[in-house]
Amino acid sequence: MFFLMPLKSFNFCPFFFLFLHRREMQSGRLKTVVSPIPQRIRSFQAADTRGKHRVQAELKRLEQEARFLEEELEQIERMEKASAASKEMLGNVESKPDPLLPVTNGPIIPVWDQWFEGPQEAQGCKCWIL
Amino acid sequence: MSVAELKEKHAAATETVNNLRERLKQRRQQLLDTDVAGYARSQGKSPLTFGPTDLLCCRTLQGHTGKVYSLDWTPERNRIVSASQDGRLIVWNALTSQKTHAIKLPCAWVMTCAFSPAGQSVACGGLDSMCSIFNLNSQTDRDGNLPVSKTLSGHKGYVSCCQYVPDEDIHIITSSGDQTCVLWDITTGLRTSVFGGEFQSGHTADVLSVSINGSNSRMFVSGSCDATARLWDSRVASRAVRTFHGHEGDVNTVKFFPDGNRFGTGSDDGTCRLFDIRTGHQLQVYYQQHGDNEVPHVTSIAFSISGRLLFAGYSNGDCYVWDTLLAKVVLNLGSVQNSHEGRITCLGLSADGSALCTGSSDTNLKIWAFGGHRRVI
Repeated sequence: MFFLMPLKSFNFCPFFFLFLHRREMQSGRLKTVVSPIPQRIRSFQAADTRGKHRVQAELKRLEQEARFLEEELEQIERMEKASAASKEMLGNVESKPDPLLPVTNGPIIPVWDQWFEGPQEAQGCKCWIL
Repeated sequence: MSVAELKEKHAAATETVNNLRERLKQRRQQLLDTDVAGYARSQGKSPLTFGPTDLLCCRTLQGHTGKVYSLDWTPERNRIVSASQDGRLIVWNALTSQKTHAIKLPCAWVMTCAFSPAGQSVACGGLDSMCSIFNLNSQTDRDGNLPVSKTLSGHKGYVSCCQYVPDEDIHIITSSGDQTCVLWDITTGLRTSVFGGEFQSGHTADVLSVSINGSNSRMFVSGSCDATARLWDSRVASRAVRTFHGHEGDVNTVKFFPDGNRFGTGSDDGTCRLFDIRTGHQLQVYYQQHGDNEVPHVTSIAFSISGRLLFAGYSNGDCYVWDTLLAKVVLNLGSVQNSHEGRITCLGLSADGSALCTGSSDTNLKIWAFGGHRRVI
């Protein structure tokens, strides 16, 4: 029997389930793994090889991750403090006119008020699409 | 080398990575001399005050018969496309509330939609693992349905989010439950690049959201169930430019800040955060107790055009309007007059910044604009 799993906390499709993957918990995060369907009994040697390849791939990924982290550690030595970014952000925010603010830089653009130039609750088109 | 020896090496490599991460975290902590709110207070920034009728609901767009899951504005002419649990996309003229298109989807389980920059096409994706493109100018078939003009298939999991690359109708970026993001060429229907996945460094869980930098369209960020956000250069698919840690739950939504040098995130841990893309610093956390010890999830975010306001929809029906500089909630659109009757599932700002659209589980969309007295400085 196949089911479609609700994939996130979306209240998405509460009735239908289609099994594509079986999910396993890994330190609080969901991880998708493929559920193997054994076709025949495998030899111990073959199973050992499959496990070996998986571990090798994972090891390679970890070594790559370590290299990336070392690069980032080098970069961080030349990095500015957070206050510099905050200062820049303040300057950028305050220089831009914003139609949704009660107090803002000019110029005011008349089209900002277009939403109030017609009836506020438009009578047109309340049809339901069935 | 035997499996046992490999596993030993694996354990050693894991410890190396964990130690490096810890060193990086501590070094980064030393550079966080202040957050944005601390700096803004030190500069004597005045708090924002909104009157109860300053941000008004000026339109209610009715027509969907199911929860609204996603919405997107055109870059011009105030049109919106929305996607709903009812298995349809609707294209609206937001100013007149008229529906210009109602598109019945081949797969009803839609999760995301997007308007093309020229406004000629819309895209959507969902549990069918595909991204479907509809040309709004094409003729409807004999059942009155708009045909799919292109199908982008290749993802091995649901399509959670899609966004057209700005200023061109040819490329689109999708995020997926298969842990990857993909840049597509719509003309050919082929994948130009795959970010992450089995053979490349990337997210380690479902990717839920993408946002493309409006100032530099080669850069985009993604948010994932692995609790990280990642910055990508679309020309370099082999690895993320940077990974942003800090959240303690799924990152449901990401959005670039208007100046293009920062981006915001919203998470299951109940916080929104602001990150700097050049340094990787976490500049600010936006969190306020909602009451009753609950920690509702952040489902969607949007910035006002200056970046002074951050709109955040939560799973409990709140929609906080944050002052991004002072990290204070200035309004809750979830509890004002004429607000939605259900929780807000998606948000989007119009291109000129004059209106916010919210979509809700109550099946409606609402348009909000500033109706108070505006003071110019």
